[in-house]
Amino acid sequence: MTEFIDVDVRPILRAGGEPFSIIMAALERLEPGEGLRLYAPFKPVPLFDVMASRGFAHREAELEGGEWEIRFLPNDGAVEAAEPASAASSDGDWPEPMVHLDNRDLDPPEPMVRILTALERLAPGQTLFALLSREPVFLFRELTKRGHQWRGDFTPQKDAYQLTVRVPA
Amino acid sequence: MIGTSLCRWAISYCAVAIAWLLLAEGLMVAGFGFPNHDIGGPDTLVIVHMVCVGWLSMALCGALFQFVPVLVARPLYAERWTLPALALLTLGLTVLLAGFLALGGHFNGPAWLLPVGAVLLIAGFALVVVNLSMTLWSARPLPGPARFVAGGLACICVTTAFGGMFSLVLSGTAAGAQWPDLLISGVPIHAIAGLGGWLTFTAMGVSYRLLAMFMLAPDGDVRLGRLAWLAGITALAVGLVGGVLTFWRMTGLNLALLLAGPAALLSLAAYGRDVLGLYRTRKRRALELNTRMSLAALVSLAAAAILGAALLAIGFFQSHVGALAFLVAFGWLTGLVLANLYKIVPFLTWLETYGPVMGRMPTPRVQDLVAERRALKWFVVFFAGSWAATLMLLLDAALGFRVAVAAVMLATLGLSEEFIRARRLADVAEPLRLPTGAAMPHLLVSRN
Repeated sequence: MTEFIDVDVRPILRAGGEPFSIIMAALERLEPGEGLRLYAPFKPVPLFDVMASRGFAHREAELEGGEWEIRFLPNDGAVEAAEPASAASSDGDWPEPMVHLDNRDLDPPEPMVRILTALERLAPGQTLFALLSREPVFLFRELTKRGHQWRGDFTPQKDAYQLTVRVPA
Repeated sequence: MIGTSLCRWAISYCAVAIAWLLLAEGLMVAGFGFPNHDIGGPDTLVIVHMVCVGWLSMALCGALFQFVPVLVARPLYAERWTLPALALLTLGLTVLLAGFLALGGHFNGPAWLLPVGAVLLIAGFALVVVNLSMTLWSARPLPGPARFVAGGLACICVTTAFGGMFSLVLSGTAAGAQWPDLLISGVPIHAIAGLGGWLTFTAMGVSYRLLAMFMLAPDGDVRLGRLAWLAGITALAVGLVGGVLTFWRMTGLNLALLLAGPAALLSLAAYGRDVLGLYRTRKRRALELNTRMSLAALVSLAAAAILGAALLAIGFFQSHVGALAFLVAFGWLTGLVLANLYKIVPFLTWLETYGPVMGRMPTPRVQDLVAERRALKWFVVFFAGSWAATLMLLLDAALGFRVAVAAVMLATLGLSEEFIRARRLADVAEPLRLPTGAAMPHLLVSRN
């Protein structure tokens, strides 16, 4: 059974603080095989992609008052061991990204060029993860034309945009 | 978010706008209108409307159709309205200018030219305002820069409403005869709403995003631009609502403007502070020419604020308002628009041409479409000419003004050639210029 380290970001957010660095610091302290249990006042959807890119799957449970308990589990089979297979969300069945790009410090439109170039090298069904300094509105048009699927959102502290793109299978 | 496509007609707006600018500059060089003629006279009105409607508004509309969707990450409400709006604005301005020329006795035109021109312009601007407003509406709550655009859109409504009423007065209609004093108290409101609200306020908002984008500066702080927006909206509301109320009561316009003035200065000061902040926190050390020239335009805006305050303080405002208006229209607004077109035209051309093959073929960078050293020379001539022309107006040197505007016109022609070269991919080295699968862009229309 997976051991969990608890991180409660509710008081931090209530005080107007930014919890991202604390979550990341807790992540650094995890032993191999350990998971992270997060308590948040809302469902931290953007965090899911960041954690996925670091090799963590998640299980979510809504608490009273609209608060959430999220368990992040290392993606080494522990998910299947901890949960019945049917609980795996059909929406979360994209494979781990083959390529990670940090495009935050690149001049526009360089992020777009790098992402499209990297996508051309992926096999059908594979995914790519990219961090950007803003929402790549002109890239979406090109992704659509090429039949790629994508999921994207701002990070919780709104200082970066995270994008996962899947090449059509 | 489904992404932003290229606005098909944005480039067409820019081309029509530059044609109006060149025409207006040519007339000024020829000595038409102010300062050779009365500042409120029909000939000056021809130049003023060519510059403010034909050039600045047209270029701003084209830029907004492309970049409001980027600001709010929503598609434009009705792309199909953009071409009819361009046609209405062009036709309306042409008829309006004919009306001014008839009013000035240059030909014997019918009295309905001015009101008909005004109605066509109002219809054109209405299409623009509804299109952009619906796009903004779909993206509530609005991000900071988009709030400036919303304020600007409200102001163009005020500007065109007053313009429409003026056309009734100037053409001698019975309806216009009911407001004999409208021209005296209404012109400052018309000008403040147009130059200050629509053109300046909107340009300020868009520049927050463009400067942050091109300097790689963080602009995620929701407080960024808040003071500039609040103070600016307050200044415009006090100036315009106060102006309309005093028009009703026939007194107190100066009081409303005196109250609005400090708020406007506070807004500009906060804007200047924000831009300096973006500049200091930028990650990109070497700035591209478009950003450096935008900053030169901002220097003109600061100079205009100082000049305006100084003229008011020493009681020379009325006699030198022409110099101030020229500095705002050319040093600030025209400079800013030309600087940004120098990025927008190559960027849209690059996206249109190389987007479809990107990642599959080697493609050039956006900067490979331009030759900054060549363009820098034209920008230097442009700003030097604009500042010299302002000085000549302050000194009442009419001939000197015409010579300085000739330099501005030469620079405009030089930059127009640079834009055409970018559309033609003329500066892209040959193996990368047209890879297989890429098509040569049209000069005046984008494929989307």
